[in-house]
Amino acid sequence: METILQGLMELVGVNAAMVVDDQGHLLAHRGRAVYDVQLCEHVSGMLARVVDSIQLQHEDWESISARFADGKVLLRNLGVVPQSGPCVLVIVADATLNASFATVAIRVAANKLKRFGESGSGRTPVPSTPNAPWLSPPSAPPMAWSSSPTAPPTFGPAPSTPLPLPIPSSPSGLRPLGAPTPDPASLAFLTRCAKELARHVGPMAKVFVDEAARRVSPGQPFAVSSSEALLAELVSQIEDPKGRLAFLAALKSPPQPTRR
Amino acid sequence: MSELDLMAMLPDVTSAVMGDLSGTHHESYQEPEGEAVAAVAGLVASTLLQAGEQLGLGALKSISVSGPARARVILLRSHLVLTGTIEPARSLGEVEKALERAD
Repeated sequence: METILQGLMELVGVNAAMVVDDQGHLLAHRGRAVYDVQLCEHVSGMLARVVDSIQLQHEDWESISARFADGKVLLRNLGVVPQSGPCVLVIVADATLNASFATVAIRVAANKLKRFGESGSGRTPVPSTPNAPWLSPPSAPPMAWSSSPTAPPTFGPAPSTPLPLPIPSSPSGLRPLGAPTPDPASLAFLTRCAKELARHVGPMAKVFVDEAARRVSPGQPFAVSSSEALLAELVSQIEDPKGRLAFLAALKSPPQPTRR
Repeated sequence: MSELDLMAMLPDVTSAVMGDLSGTHHESYQEPEGEAVAAVAGLVASTLLQAGEQLGLGALKSISVSGPARARVILLRSHLVLTGTIEPARSLGEVEKALERAD
């Protein structure tokens, strides 16, 4: 869960990403320093009221976008999450948000969150506090869903502190990643992965590949020996089962020689 | 020509309602439930105004709601709240662009 929200935070302009239930409880949160849990919890109550009101006349709503002078608030309907009820993905962004990137990234994140909720057996809430039963006391770190390969998803304190302010963006609109440089063969494989993935998820493909490479090779350059793990990560980004098969088939076949 | 007329003239805008931030209904175009639409739009807009203030995002300009079949766009003009219903929903982007050009 935290990884999914963290992925959204990688987008230039995104200052907070959170999951809110229909009662206005903040279920998961990632945000820059100024958008701390207390502020987001306060705002999530207001956003739950907005959603309630919208649903009076637009029960099948999928997304809500509020445009402000200095930024945007984007809401995406996640539907009913087991043991949590109806949930909404909320993005708070400033005016530098690239709308095209954001649209794709939010759709992908929402689908992953839905799958996360469906596949997991739900969350275990932290001990209740009088005012915010889903949150830890104000002094605790932000909350986030977490999961491990062997255990069902659980709900607990996020291991990290609020994020620092954004660093300057690259010309492509994405933050410099600063990952170790792989060897030429591995780099070529990553490039193929990004190219093939782009056929299915669009311009966010390179970001997904960079993130997945860092996850499967933490702290060291990506190597082709980790390609199976990388493909397993990347294929989860593709919604269409046929697309998944096509992606895997393309990546597992030898690269086509370049004709001159 | 009023802003309600301008909204109603846009392609694929099937109805339009003018209200205010308190939810009071002022005027409608082809919307049988104009009062209810104005009330919801007023409440949504005023709540998002508060949220935007808390988040430091400045003044609220517009709200878009999309679904599989239809979409709604809500514009704020001072204390007035203008709501347009768009069918099919895929025309939302075009309507938003037209409204931005007219702004």
